[in-house]
Parts: sequence; C-alpha cells; structure tokens
Amino acid sequence: MDLLINMATTSIQTEVTQNWSKIFFFVLECVGIYFLSRKAEAKKKWMAFVPFIRYVLVGRIADREKEGRVLIGLRVLDWSMSLAMDFIDVADEVNSILETTGPVTVISSDLKLVFLLAAMDLAVWIAIIVYWIRLYLGICKRFKARNLWVVVMIFLEPLVFLLFALHKRYVYYPAEEKVADGARVSGARAKVLAEGLTVDITDRTVKDSGKEKRLLKDIHLSIPRGHMVLLLGGSGAGKTTFLNAVTGYEPANAQVLLDGKDIYKEYEKMKFDVGFVPQQDLMRGNDTVYRTLSDAGALRLPDNMNGLARKKRVRDVLESFGLAMLGDTLVDKLSGGQRKRLSIAMEFISDPGLFILDEPDSGLDGVVARGLFEKLRSIADEGRIVIVITHTPDRVIDLFDDVIVLAKDVDRTGRLAYYGPIREAEEFFEKDGMEQILLAINQKEEGGEGRANEFVAKYAQLISGETTMGKAGEN
Amino acid sequence: MGNLKSFEDIRNVPKEELRYKGRLPQLGIYLGKMFRMFVFQSDWKVLPMAAVIAGLVCYVVGDNLFRNMEGTLLGTFALSCICIWNGFFNSIQVICRERPIIKREHRSGLHISSYIAAHMIYQAVLCLGQTIITIVVCVGMHVAFPKVSLVTGNAMLDMVITVFLTTYAADMMSLMASAFVRSTTMAMTVMPFLMIFQLVFSGGFFQLQGNAEKLTNLTVAKWGLTAFCAQGMYNDLPMVSLWKTMDKMKEVEVEGQQPIKMAMELIEAQGGKDELLLRCGQYNQNPKYESSAENVEVCWMRLIFYILLYAFLALGALEYIDRDKR
Repeated sequence: MDLLINMATTSIQTEVTQNWSKIFFFVLECVGIYFLSRKAEAKKKWMAFVPFIRYVLVGRIADREKEGRVLIGLRVLDWSMSLAMDFIDVADEVNSILETTGPVTVISSDLKLVFLLAAMDLAVWIAIIVYWIRLYLGICKRFKARNLWVVVMIFLEPLVFLLFALHKRYVYYPAEEKVADGARVSGARAKVLAEGLTVDITDRTVKDSGKEKRLLKDIHLSIPRGHMVLLLGGSGAGKTTFLNAVTGYEPANAQVLLDGKDIYKEYEKMKFDVGFVPQQDLMRGNDTVYRTLSDAGALRLPDNMNGLARKKRVRDVLESFGLAMLGDTLVDKLSGGQRKRLSIAMEFISDPGLFILDEPDSGLDGVVARGLFEKLRSIADEGRIVIVITHTPDRVIDLFDDVIVLAKDVDRTGRLAYYGPIREAEEFFEKDGMEQILLAINQKEEGGEGRANEFVAKYAQLISGETTMGKAGEN
Repeated sequence: MGNLKSFEDIRNVPKEELRYKGRLPQLGIYLGKMFRMFVFQSDWKVLPMAAVIAGLVCYVVGDNLFRNMEGTLLGTFALSCICIWNGFFNSIQVICRERPIIKREHRSGLHISSYIAAHMIYQAVLCLGQTIITIVVCVGMHVAFPKVSLVTGNAMLDMVITVFLTTYAADMMSLMASAFVRSTTMAMTVMPFLMIFQLVFSGGFFQLQGNAEKLTNLTVAKWGLTAFCAQGMYNDLPMVSLWKTMDKMKEVEVEGQQPIKMAMELIEAQGGKDELLLRCGQYNQNPKYESSAENVEVCWMRLIFYILLYAFLALGALEYIDRDKR
C-alpha cells in the first residue's frame, strides 16, 4: 500500500511541478470537451473535468461510447506503465549513457525492464491512437465536418473541440432522431391458462455500452397445450430474445407461467420442462448417436429413474426419431436431417411441456423439412406446446395452429404485431401467406413494406379493450 | 439410484420430488465423454507427439544433461520447454472449440464446476501419459538421470513428479486461456505470447536481474527448471566452459611459448582436470538451484498452486458463458 502511495505521490509531484504545460493542455481539453458536450446537449457534462472518465463523454458526443470506454482502459494502462517506469530509478544510468561517447555495451536489468515497459507502452499507444481516430471520426460525423479534421484533432484536439463547440457554422447532429414512445401500448394482460403457457412481457431491456436498450415491449399471449405455434418476425425483431425470455433463460420484466407455475420463480425446477433446440446443431461430432442422446438424458432426466428405465427411454426416443439404426454412428457422419432430428431428440428426451425450436429446417430440403415438421405436429398433438421459428413457413403452414408475429416498431423495439390463428392472421394483415406478412412488416431497407408500426398499433388497438386475451386458446 | 421403473412414472411424481444429477455424477458423464473423444477424436495424437519431441530434444541436448553445469542448464531448459509445449497443446482449444455446446448444456443443467473438474482429471491423465513417455524416451536415449532422490526416496519418481507437474501446470494455463477466449483462432493467437513469456522469463537460460527477475516467479517454466536443476545436483556438477575455452586458445603463443597448452598438459598429466572442472563449478554455483528436498518441494508447491489457480480462473471465466452472444 505504502509503495502505491509513494508511487502515486511521486507521480503527482512530478506532474505538478514539472509539467505545467501538460496541466495547461489538460484544462484546455476539459474546457473544450465541456463546451462540446453543451452543444451536443449531452448529459453528465461534469465528466469533462474527470481524468479518463471524460472519454466516455467524448464517446457519447461522437455516438461511439464503446470506443470511449475502451480508451479509458488503454489510458489507465498507459498511465500505469508510465508510473512504473518513473518508479524504476534509471536516471543516473541514462545520463551516463547519454554522456558516453563510445558504444554502450552493457545496460542494467532495470533499464532493460524500462525498455520493455516502453515497448509495451508503445503498443498501447498505437491502440490509443486508433481509438482516438475512431472517436474523432465520430465527432466529424456528428458535426458533418470533413474527416480531414481528424488530423488536426490529433495535434490540437482542445482547440478543434472549442472551435466546433463555439462556432455557429458547426452544428451538432444527434445520431438518432428522437421519436415518440413507439407504437401505442395495448395495456392488455394475457389470460392465465391452467394447462398452457401464459406470457405477460412488460418489457425486456439490456445495457449496451452504458445505454439502456429496450429489446421487447408489451407482449401478452396465452398458448394452450396441444398447439403448434409459428413465431414469425424479420431480422432483429427480437424472436430469440422473446424465446429466451419465455424459457426463463434471460428473464424479462415479465410473468411467464407454464400450467400456472411461474417459470421465473421456479426456474431451477422447471427448466427441464422447457426444451430449446438451437438453430445450429450443437453436438460433439465425434461422439456416437447413442452416447450423445444418453448423455443428454443423463443431464435432463430425473435421477429418480432407474438405469433400465433410462436406457429404455433413450432407445424409445431413438426409435421415435428414426435414429435407432444409427446408434453407433458418429454424429459427424449423419446427414443434415438426421443431425437435426438428433438435436431435437436431445431436448425431447425429458418430454418437455414447452418445446421451442429455432429454425429447425435450416439447411434441409423441402421433403426432409416437411417430415420434420410433421414430427413436431405429432409432438404437439400429444399435448405439448411447440413454438417454432422458421423462415420458410408457407410450405408447412397447414401444420400450425397459430402464429405470433413480432416486428420492430419505430423505436426498433420488438413488439407483438399479431397473435392468433393462421387464417385470421392473413385477414388481419390482408395478405396471402406468412411470407407476404413478413414482407409487410419488414423495414424498407430490408426490402419490406415498412408497415410494422402500423400493424403493431392496429393489434394493440384490437386487444386494448380486453383485460384478458387468449384468442388462439379459445379456438 | 432411482426407483421409477419407467419414464411414464415421472408424470405421477410431483416436480418438487424429482432430483437431477448433481456435480459428482455429471463429472462422471463428462469424464466418459472426454475419454471417448480421446479415442474418436485426435486427442490420442498428443502421446506420440510427446515421444517425438522428447526424442528430438534428447538427440540435441541429451549428451550433457545432468553431466555438467552448462549441459544441465541447457538440457533442463529444453526439458521444461517440452513440458510446456506438451501442456499447451493438450488443452489450448478444448474449451473454446465447443463453447456453444457448453452453453447449450449449461442451459440444460450442466454444472460448470463438473465440466472443469472433468477436464482437470482428463488432462491429468494425458499429462501423466506424456510424462511417462518423455521419461522412457529420455532413458532410452541414455540421458544420465540423477541417481539421488531428494524427496520421495526414488530419484526417477522425483523426476516423474517434476515433469508431470510442469506439464500439468502448463496444461491448466492453456485450459484457462481456452476458457477465456471465444474462438480457436483467438486461442492460437494467444498461445505464442503465453509460450514466449514462459520461455523468456524462465529465469534460467536467460539471466534476468532486479525487477525483471521477480517476473520469473510468475512462470511455470521457472519452477520446473529450478526443480530439474535441484534434482540434477546442478551445483555439484563440473563446469566445462573454462576448459573448452582454454582448449580453443591452446595454440596462443606468448614470447615463443604456448603457456595455455602447457598448463593444460600439466593439469592432465597430474590428473587434475576433473578437479579443475569441479572447482570451476563451485565458483559458479547458483543458490537458487540448491539440491535440497525443501527447494524441490517449494517448486512443486508453486506448480500445484498455479494448477489450482488456473483451474479456478477457468471456472470463473466459464461461469459467464450465458452472456455469450450468438
């Protein structure tokens, strides 16, 4: 501790007594950032005067907060190395080397260490410069100034900041236009089902680079057992976030009930009643099919089962998914369809009440995909809830009962644009087929019609009068 | 063991009464999985690779290992390099290559501690296999292993323990790196830096002083090399550098005579060469390599400490696997 205090004291004394010019530039820089933040109407302008932290403020102004945060780390690293180099006393040796006219043959180990630290500091400084350039480019973009200003900023940052902040010619353009609070909120609540899934998501937010970002909002639906539901939505609409919230894997500000039991509150017990099949076939390719499934069973099946029952269950599931003859085959040797079936079987082995599949048909041809969805239909018919994401729904749409349509509203938050039976969905969107619906809600830059907000509002309007909603369940 | 005789019986049992596999049974599942991977995957190849590397190193530096100071320092450094190389290659990719699978399994109830413990056991077995192969190859290539035991009473067992702990500590370090990084590409980028740090800061072959010397305490290589030198009675070995230099300079003439050649002939005629070499060694002893049980035990303890530390850090890194993005 004393050592650290001594190091810090030495450093401060050195800074204060010997580096007036540094202090002058530091103050100038602080003032420059402060005025810049005023022009950008940034929050927490006081950060401009706090060493290191002020890079976050610059990052916010440049709409590159992440870079600002990395810069803090790099500058702290640089400062620590400089401090360490100051602490190693090699001044006399350096002076004697400088005074020596002949070649220097031997240098002390401490000086070598200083050189090593200097080399590492050089590496850090290269990174610092790269991140500075990124921030400066962001500043130029926000002020619609030419990128050449970056070169001037590198040498005269405080002066350029003051120029941008005080000169009327430079106007600050925020990164995102401020928008109204998205499409209207329904205010509805999902109907609680004694046998089924009840989802009441108020919202789901995450922190990204210090900013709070809302991923989902106002999603309320009830799915009875025995239903197979299509989850439809464009890229970034929040499908996976929604599924993770429903399974309790990444909880939202929500209440999710399965057969009346709160998944969030009883997650440890209930997670085995929820099967989630990821998009990729995440299995060890060099293990056999039988072992892959029996190991999955060992994790997912309760210990209350005896060994024989466990083995029988593995054999039954292999049989049920048409993999019985492939037990000794390595997973790597399976075809795409077989591998997908094994991936599904790994979750199915514990007979989950809620079965969720993320694009199970990706990479499969039409015939194989159809066979797979028919299998899922039979699983649903046995009294389970099956929710499926697929990007080619129309070829198997006859197998689904309902559709959940998620879309990005003007705030780019995932919202419920529709939930209900397939035919009613087509009427609601006035479209023929699911892929047409998808086209209607997709953003214009994605080649869609960009009508997501319209449908989100329309659906919210539709259900806003209802205190409970469970349209699909009532069919 | 469970009492339910069929899967259908589960439906009649309240969910609160269902029990799932705890950490210890999961450890068994993953150990089984890893040993199957050893057979099906290419993990087994690390064993013949250990033999090839040991053979190459013994061929180059084996003659003087544990015979004189210079050969011992060079040879034990090479021996440490073998251990670190073997350890690093055993596990640098094992976690990062199956990271999405671990995430899926974690979602299904996998305990990360069981997973790491299974890796620790599996890697320990691999390292032990490599240790035995390395020692067998060295013996086969007539490396003069020490005859005196400092700790266990069996000199060869002492050597096996040191080789094993050094390999295993390097293995755990690379397991930790594999747990921290997100891809095999990143793992293979990080590995050379870790290896260079280990070799440069081993503190034996590259002499460091002052603050730089303190950094050597952080390396597996330093403790492995120190234990090897202590077991090999480094400080009691002859030093041959002087004699070799004199031999190179024996033709030098001073006032028409060759004094160095004459001195060498005189020493040899009086049978004093060995004594001279030993005296040279005595003047170049390194207290760090003191041949004592305490010294070797300190090295072993340090290596065990690092093994546990790296495993703990790997565990900590992997506990956050759910935060991985798609």
